[in-house]
Amino acid sequence: MDNALYVGLSRQMVLRREMDIIANNIANVDTTGFKVESMIQKTEPAAPAFTIGGPRPVKFVAADGVARDFGQGSLNPTGGPLDMAIEGKAFFQLQGPDGPSFTRDGRFTTDATGRLVSQGGLPVLDKSGGEIVIDTEKGQVKVGGDGTLSQGNERVGQVGMFEFTNLAALSKTGDNLYRNVSNLAATPSAEARLRQGMLEGSNVKSILEITRMVQVSRAYESTAKMMDAQGDLSRRAVERLGRAQ
Amino acid sequence: MQALRTAATGMAAQQMNVEVISNNIANMNTVAFKRQRAEFQDLLYQTFEAAGTQSSDQGTIVPTGVQVGAGVKTGAVYRVGTQGALTRTDNQYDMAIDGRGYFQVLAPSGENVYTRAGNLAVNDQGQLVTQDGFQIQPAITIPGDAVSVSISKSGQVEVLQAGQTNPSIVGVLELSTFVNEGGLKALGGNLLQETSASGAPTNGTPGSVGIGTLVQGYTEASNVDAVAEITALIIAQRAYEMNSKVISTADNMLATANQVKA
Repeated sequence: MDNALYVGLSRQMVLRREMDIIANNIANVDTTGFKVESMIQKTEPAAPAFTIGGPRPVKFVAADGVARDFGQGSLNPTGGPLDMAIEGKAFFQLQGPDGPSFTRDGRFTTDATGRLVSQGGLPVLDKSGGEIVIDTEKGQVKVGGDGTLSQGNERVGQVGMFEFTNLAALSKTGDNLYRNVSNLAATPSAEARLRQGMLEGSNVKSILEITRMVQVSRAYESTAKMMDAQGDLSRRAVERLGRAQ
Repeated sequence: MQALRTAATGMAAQQMNVEVISNNIANMNTVAFKRQRAEFQDLLYQTFEAAGTQSSDQGTIVPTGVQVGAGVKTGAVYRVGTQGALTRTDNQYDMAIDGRGYFQVLAPSGENVYTRAGNLAVNDQGQLVTQDGFQIQPAITIPGDAVSVSISKSGQVEVLQAGQTNPSIVGVLELSTFVNEGGLKALGGNLLQETSASGAPTNGTPGSVGIGTLVQGYTEASNVDAVAEITALIIAQRAYEMNSKVISTADNMLATANQVKA
């Protein structure tokens, strides 16, 4: 009898989490290199809700996973000589305090010793995992499409771009960073191109997010309506059964 | 509901963005002002279900986890150090730096601070000073009977004194460069201060390797691009609106929950 209430409740819990994800997407509509996320729902394989003589077993809704759209964000020119955007499916690799991190956020700068670092101060690594040092005295840094850094005629390093065969291996840690939580290794990318003086914008499409938000809100309301109706039904049943005695 | 707090972080970030943009627009005509940009980063993620965990005894694994983010924060507000346009003023004490480098200025506190604003003047003792009266380092004194002052590309200050036919050199201006210019701390009054992030200054004469040259009779305009700032302002305003929309929707959902009949 109460199945409809519990199933409705499982739906509402998932909708609330979906709303949290949409809110995070919208909050990051202007975050460099942010990748939009969406909720994947599933029917709970186990069917604890028991049905007597029903046509098919009642099942709960559950959150299955978060899908990330790693599609290209728009490239916005900034004019910063060390701002870099990746065109293609690769990531920059940064040396974190506890292992490498990956990012699409290419707002780099040099630190006090001339190392190329991210805004968070983590060193940017080259193809073979070494740090890149720039001598700012030697003039403007030119970034080639394959990540080669040169000052004048001198080659000073190459920014590494890495790709994954399975992007689900990446877990977000905040600060625009991803950690590799699988045992798949990142491989240097041959196809990705680097663009100097540009940053990759967030790939959140605001109109899509707002539409989804409206959908979630309405679905939440209609589930609540359904639960209301179910509540009415049980109340009436109790009243009538009471009178019959 | 997390969505309420997440949207609030989004509104706070956009508010910061508008503050930075308005400071850029306010300083559009400030000599040698470098525009700033607010940059955002996502906040921590709460993992409800980790990717890669086992989902059955047969060793199948969860392909994608459930991670919900907590919103956005301002990662950095950094100066874009591109060259500003050189504006002709014809004032003999105006100097623009074409390329890298900063003038060294002796602040009243006794420490050296740095500026690119080359709209200089002389004080009552003939010393070359900034518009605030702070002395330029190394100190250069213009004799009181100077008829004209000429400053070369490489910083040599030559003075033609009354009654003389040949100009005499009274000093050489130096410029300081930093490994990480973005690490300098803005003090206001067009002044910047050295920090551990910027590294120690390297002093040298203008025009030597890695240092810009001086252009007398010009000042460096700000590098604020009005069109870019206004566009950024529009984007920030719309993003702010969207976040407030999220708050009202989350609020409606909570109201719906409250209306469920017991």
